[in-house]
Amino acid sequence: MASSAAATVQPLDRTRARRKAAWRRRRLVLLLMSPWLVGFSVFFGYPLVMSVYLSFTHYDLLSSPKWIGTANYRYLFTQDPQVGEAVKNTLWIIAVMVPLQVVFAFGVASMLVRARTGAGFFRTIFYLPALAPPVAATLAFVYILNPATGPVNILLKHLGIDGPLWFQSPGWSKPSLVMLGVWGVGNIMIIFLAAILDVPRHLYESAELDGAGPLQRLRWVTLPTISPVILFSVVIGVIAGLQYFTQAYVAANVASGQASQAGDQTVNNLGYPEASTLFYPVLLYQHGFRYFNMGYASAMSVLLLVVAFTITVLIIRNSRRWVHYAGAAK
Amino acid sequence: MRRVGIGLLVALVLGAALIAATARTSATAGTSGAKADNITIWVGWSAAELKAFKGVVAEYDSKHPEVTVKVVGGINDDKITAAIRSGKVPDVVSSFTSANVGQYCNSGAWLDLKPFLSKDKIDVNMFPKTSQYYTQYKGKRCALPLLADVYGFYYNKKMFKAAGLTSPPKTMSQLSSYAKKLTKKNSDGSIKVAGYNPFLGFYAGNAPDLSAYAPLFAAKYVDGSGKSVLSKDPAWSKMLKWQKSLVDWYGYKKLQKFNAGAADEFSASHAFEIGKLAMMIDGEWRVAFIGREHPSLDYGTAPAPVDDAHPELYGAGYVNGTIIGIPKGVKHKDQAWALVKYLTTDSHALAIFSNGVRNVPTTKASLTSSDIKPDARFKTFLKIFTNSNSKTTPITAAGNAYGSLIQAFTVKWQAGHAGDLAKGLQKLDKQIDAQLKQAQAGGVP
Amino acid sequence: MGSLRRGGQVSTASVPVAAALTRRKPPASVRRRRFLLAVANHSLLIVAGIAFLAPFVFIALTALMTNGQALSEHLWPNPFRWQNFVDVFHQAPILRWALNTMIYACLATLGVLVSSVPVAYALSRIRWRGRNVAFGLVLIALMLPPVVSVVPLYVMWAKLGLVGGLGPLIIPNWFGDAFSIFLLRQFFMTIPEEYLDAARVDGCGELRILATVVLRLAKPAIAAVALFSFLYTFNDFFLPLLYTRENPSSWVLQIGLSEFRSLHQVQWNLTMAATLLVMAPVIIVFFLAQRVFVEGVTLTGVKG
Repeated sequence: MASSAAATVQPLDRTRARRKAAWRRRRLVLLLMSPWLVGFSVFFGYPLVMSVYLSFTHYDLLSSPKWIGTANYRYLFTQDPQVGEAVKNTLWIIAVMVPLQVVFAFGVASMLVRARTGAGFFRTIFYLPALAPPVAATLAFVYILNPATGPVNILLKHLGIDGPLWFQSPGWSKPSLVMLGVWGVGNIMIIFLAAILDVPRHLYESAELDGAGPLQRLRWVTLPTISPVILFSVVIGVIAGLQYFTQAYVAANVASGQASQAGDQTVNNLGYPEASTLFYPVLLYQHGFRYFNMGYASAMSVLLLVVAFTITVLIIRNSRRWVHYAGAAK
Repeated sequence: MRRVGIGLLVALVLGAALIAATARTSATAGTSGAKADNITIWVGWSAAELKAFKGVVAEYDSKHPEVTVKVVGGINDDKITAAIRSGKVPDVVSSFTSANVGQYCNSGAWLDLKPFLSKDKIDVNMFPKTSQYYTQYKGKRCALPLLADVYGFYYNKKMFKAAGLTSPPKTMSQLSSYAKKLTKKNSDGSIKVAGYNPFLGFYAGNAPDLSAYAPLFAAKYVDGSGKSVLSKDPAWSKMLKWQKSLVDWYGYKKLQKFNAGAADEFSASHAFEIGKLAMMIDGEWRVAFIGREHPSLDYGTAPAPVDDAHPELYGAGYVNGTIIGIPKGVKHKDQAWALVKYLTTDSHALAIFSNGVRNVPTTKASLTSSDIKPDARFKTFLKIFTNSNSKTTPITAAGNAYGSLIQAFTVKWQAGHAGDLAKGLQKLDKQIDAQLKQAQAGGVP
Repeated sequence: MGSLRRGGQVSTASVPVAAALTRRKPPASVRRRRFLLAVANHSLLIVAGIAFLAPFVFIALTALMTNGQALSEHLWPNPFRWQNFVDVFHQAPILRWALNTMIYACLATLGVLVSSVPVAYALSRIRWRGRNVAFGLVLIALMLPPVVSVVPLYVMWAKLGLVGGLGPLIIPNWFGDAFSIFLLRQFFMTIPEEYLDAARVDGCGELRILATVVLRLAKPAIAAVALFSFLYTFNDFFLPLLYTRENPSSWVLQIGLSEFRSLHQVQWNLTMAATLLVMAPVIIVFFLAQRVFVEGVTLTGVKG
């Protein structure tokens, strides 16, 4: 009798101890996660909900929000004369800059891998521009590409070529921004470099034994093995393209040459020249923080969120077809 | 663990202190009771012009020992609206962008000044009609004018003499022919000296919203009911066609290169001041700038040339001005009003300030005040200011957002990318109307 | 990162000497082709390298010109005007901007570390219900373009009266940063459980384990996170633009630089000098902490 009584006491103790341990663990997790829990709700969840709410109001921060139903969305989809340009520009920059950056980064990384001498030196050179603050880099490029006095056009003139107007021309302003973007691929290039070096050598050797030439080795060994990295770069690039703001804003401001003697607000330079650098986030900024049309800006941000989410999901889903995970990592 | 904890605490405290230190330098008035000693005024001027303003305020301070006025310069409209939105407002604000008065009055951001005006028995007719117009919206007066900006014509007399021209052009066709005569090119075809730069977006006199040209062609932006009439008023097409013909004569790309190589508008290497530009439309402040930076420049001022079909308009020009008011949320309204009243109605104060920054004083009395330092070139602008045909741009509840839409069209137009002019203007009218409706929270038409 | 020749060493260094002696040299044609390819490869690298370095060179040259020369067609300064770097400080309150930037960057980085490390630990080394959901939410937050949340956040900060200062920039970093949490979590997952178990057996509480064992083992990841955070906030333009544009006393270097052209009279030579000065700190830090940089970047891409 005594042993069975003792036997029933022990499991109870153990469960109580286990429950106490579980409770202590939960408290610990709560403590550790608390900053993020607050952060997530206040800086992610709340804005999301609030954006949706504000998008149905007219709000200029001077008086309380006024409910106007779907009027903002109607204006956004049918009336705003600048939205069409903004969307086209953003899609353009994504479609052109991301592939160029990925290809260029991969190309430079491949060359670095094959270089026998001075690889470290070259690696530094190609990485350095990525460190330049975007504002500084943009300012530098606007000056260098100044159609009249910039070094590039001066050099072209010596070669007998009449240089384009670069940031002053609606046709060349986006390509100029793309050049600026490609100049800064250092980060992606380093990632590609590491990934290419990680490709197991025996895969190359067996491919060579099978008679594969360099191009075929590239197509069937290198690319599939580093495909997760390619996917990563593409996703990062697309997300960055959807938020492309700083370079466009600074370039338009500086290239338009309008001195803003503190006080002069009669000129709106966003998108200079001819709305060619008016990207969606720039337009959002204009409506929300120049005109203080915050309800409308919220509608724009809701649309951006939907598009960003859709594109990301599409890319990731599509990636299953061509991305090859070596079994390890993910 | 404890070391980490203490370190963290210290960091947090330091951090909070630093954040507080860098928080917006509060411009609120003193927190003491009703008889406040400190009031703050925000103005857009900076550098030398701010100094002149501070001189005027110092005179006020000496006359009113119970109040000390703090002056903050370099303010723009974004700062003003941000301050009002966050509740931390100065006592008096002033803005260069009179076009925004519609927004300020309509939203109540600036207080209605009528009770103050009637209490002190001030008649608004002491201000010229145009200045009255750009300081109120739909009858609600929330601002008063504090010095005006008037646009006129500057021409380089030395270059005129060398080209055999004796007097400034009076019509647009004369302007074009003079411009072609005065232009000099480099050996590679690029522009060395431009007779007149018609490029919209180059310097203030070429505002892409066409505000500087509108009074010269008697062009109206809106009709009586507030609808945009850019396509209906034939003056606009005439103006744009004239402008483009001159741009094409120079060559669009060549003009772009000239602009890119020109120095900043408010630098001492301003294209007109260093002789790279023979004629230009600019504001009256340029007289003071030239006097400071290039006193030996041989130049003259005159009213801007006008449409050939309307010679009677000669003498008119575009007018806008600095506006001053009291923002919502101010505690010391009476002191604020006293300062506003002094700055805007006292002839002596206006004259002294006008001398300092060479802007146009804004009461009929101050225009003829003996305190104004005589200057033949500056006098031109005083005359333009009082001309009955001088106009300003329409005040709307959306501020000058319509200017951005016009700008988007005109920059395309001058580049030749805008297609059919009539159709383009019609589309522009619709956009402007829709935008105004959206800004008034009236939904979409 | 070690030598770049990791792959190549397998076939040369580790092959026994005897085998090396019996290995035939490849025929001359193959050797020539390989040499030509190497030359071609190197030429491309050199050309690309020059193109990449050119902007820096042009900025530096312009920074040493007089204003007149900067606006002219000269490419080489004559004379060299080192005075420009001093003039820049007279033209604009660069030191004030630098101070603001340091305050923002340092406090934000500290906040990121303090708030993200515990979260990453909880998400990687402790089993609890909902852990995967939480991590999924972190990933989703990672994908969110910040532009989407600016309007309501601005409204919130305006109501709190903090617009115009650095508060709205610094405070959110003290509540976790999705990217840093992600990076740290990935790294923490590679720590062998044995280390932690040994500490647990010794009687350490979970918090103590985190503070001592984990932190010490994760130094490279933490250094990388700190570096990235610092870099990101140093370069940040959008948020300071939103919150401090109307308050010049709170401007950071990036805002000041973008407005430099309009502060007084525009002078390209001084603007370029200022640009160089703003670029310099980051480049210096890079040379001092090269390995951390490259390892950190690799961590994000390869493990991500």
